[in-house]
Amino acid sequence: MTTVSGKAEARRTLQSARSDVLRKMWEHRADYAYVLPAIAVMLIVIAYPIYYTIELSFFNTPPGLQLRDKIFVGFNNYTAILTSGVFWQVTFNTLIWTVASTFFSFVLGFAAALALHRDFVGRGVLRAILIIPWVISAVAASYIWKWIYHSDFGIIGAILVELGWAERPPNFIDSVSTVLPSLIVVNIWREFPFAMIMMTAGLQTVPEQLLRAAKVDGANAWQRFWHVTFPHLRNVSTVTILLLAVANFNSFIIPWIMTGGGPSNASHIWITHIYELAFGRQRWGVASAYSVLLFIILMTLGYFYVRALSGNERKDDSA
Amino acid sequence: MSTVSETNSRGHSARRLRIDGWRWGGRAFLVFMLLYTALPMIWMLLTSIKSGFAAMQFPPQWWPDQPTLDSYQKLLDPQNSVGQDFLRFFWNSLIVSTATTILSVIVAVPAAYAFSRFTFPGRNFLFFAVLLRNMFPAVIFLVPLFILMRAIGLVNTHGSLVLTYLTFGLPLAIWLLKGFYDNIPVQLEQAARIDGATRFQAFMLIVMPLSTPGIIATAIYSFIGAWNEYIYAYTFLSKNEQLTLPVGIQRFFSENTTDFPGLMAASFMMSVPVVVLFLLLQRYFVRALTEGAVKH
Repeated sequence: MTTVSGKAEARRTLQSARSDVLRKMWEHRADYAYVLPAIAVMLIVIAYPIYYTIELSFFNTPPGLQLRDKIFVGFNNYTAILTSGVFWQVTFNTLIWTVASTFFSFVLGFAAALALHRDFVGRGVLRAILIIPWVISAVAASYIWKWIYHSDFGIIGAILVELGWAERPPNFIDSVSTVLPSLIVVNIWREFPFAMIMMTAGLQTVPEQLLRAAKVDGANAWQRFWHVTFPHLRNVSTVTILLLAVANFNSFIIPWIMTGGGPSNASHIWITHIYELAFGRQRWGVASAYSVLLFIILMTLGYFYVRALSGNERKDDSA
Repeated sequence: MSTVSETNSRGHSARRLRIDGWRWGGRAFLVFMLLYTALPMIWMLLTSIKSGFAAMQFPPQWWPDQPTLDSYQKLLDPQNSVGQDFLRFFWNSLIVSTATTILSVIVAVPAAYAFSRFTFPGRNFLFFAVLLRNMFPAVIFLVPLFILMRAIGLVNTHGSLVLTYLTFGLPLAIWLLKGFYDNIPVQLEQAARIDGATRFQAFMLIVMPLSTPGIIATAIYSFIGAWNEYIYAYTFLSKNEQLTLPVGIQRFFSENTTDFPGLMAASFMMSVPVVVLFLLLQRYFVRALTEGAVKH
């Protein structure tokens, strides 16, 4: 008797909880109008493509995207990818590209932000100059550096020859062993200003009084940095590093314009490889399967990204 | 007595030396970064004022023997075909970027305001769903979007670009603006409401003016993103007269692979609008990041 009534009660509270949510949603119906345009655009341009990519990854598609003729192949696309040698080479390149670019961009950007933190004559101009590479188009940057690395008339090669360090100008981007590091240098050139801006903004939130108090207590410059400045910047650093890592993982323009992935795949990273599979060789199914694998990796990174962000929010609430 | 004071002063000078060491290290580092950043851009400018013949020499002319503005004249001359193409690409980029910027502000402002002020069910979920867009590379969306655009008849139109650019500008725009709105006290609006303003009036008259720096930062970000975007424009547009600058330049110079002065001049002119815009408004951008994103 009591158990029955207990169950009924539980059901009733469940129902009332559900209608509570609905009622709340109804009460707030006007609020959704504000978010609706953003959500609508996102749904069209994001949710539909994600669904479609997953579907396409289980099919074999004929060239020219005659999608009525696609053939269901199950997991064949996935097994084909994981057993191919190119996959491992491209994954290795992507790892080196992402880790090296992120690490050096962050370290150089953070160091520049610190060095520019103290006021001196010309600081504003210097900061502005350092930001320019981040603002200009990656296409322009790629052409500028392609010309700098040029194997006959490039300026770096010429300098090396003038200094007597090389007999003839080296082939920076036409040689398998040097192409990836050369492209990473270009990428860092474009990315470090972002880290610099973020860390500059972060440095402005470090309370002056704390630093002064530490100085009075006899802490030296390094100790003040390590015990006062750095702990304050932990959240900004996490967000900056994650954003850099995601951006680098998703790079396309620099390798695509400068080398097209060559020579012999030495500078192919995931995204350029997917693009070539889809639009170069018209293997849409395999390219989609690659994209789904990419999703999974990115969702893992995304989990940490959201956690870092909501970590900030929570602290905000308690404060 | 004298020994004590001596050790004292020596300890003092040693500490001063170490601080100076940090400062000199910082200066040396800044000089290095300045060279790394500026030398490629200087070399671009120097090459752009050489003739095609002067650029292709070894060892190179470190300073052009006979500086010339030929490349710039060629690109800006509406009489010849190169100039016509370049000016058209420039105009296309301007239209697409401006449309994207205006639309992103119109869409992002109300969304960010709602995320900051209202507590409707699903708010956090929607907020993070918007942020997650940042995670995905353009390539993933290319094939399905291409098919979608073909289905709704937007392939080979600038509309397809504006619609896609809108979405990748939005996440950061909403995030930045939300931070701004979080910092504007609700009491200000409540006071206005008590004085008889409607919710909309309170928003337009109180909140909007206070969040102008955030809106400017959002607008710059959208404009620069749209101006520099390459991969969608490369895929969605095939007609020569519709190309935007990054794709146009690439198409053009895959046909004239040895005209490096022309290529450098085009790269320079493509960079001028965004660099000028950013330098004029950068303080808003850094402020928006400080108040919006970082302080959080």
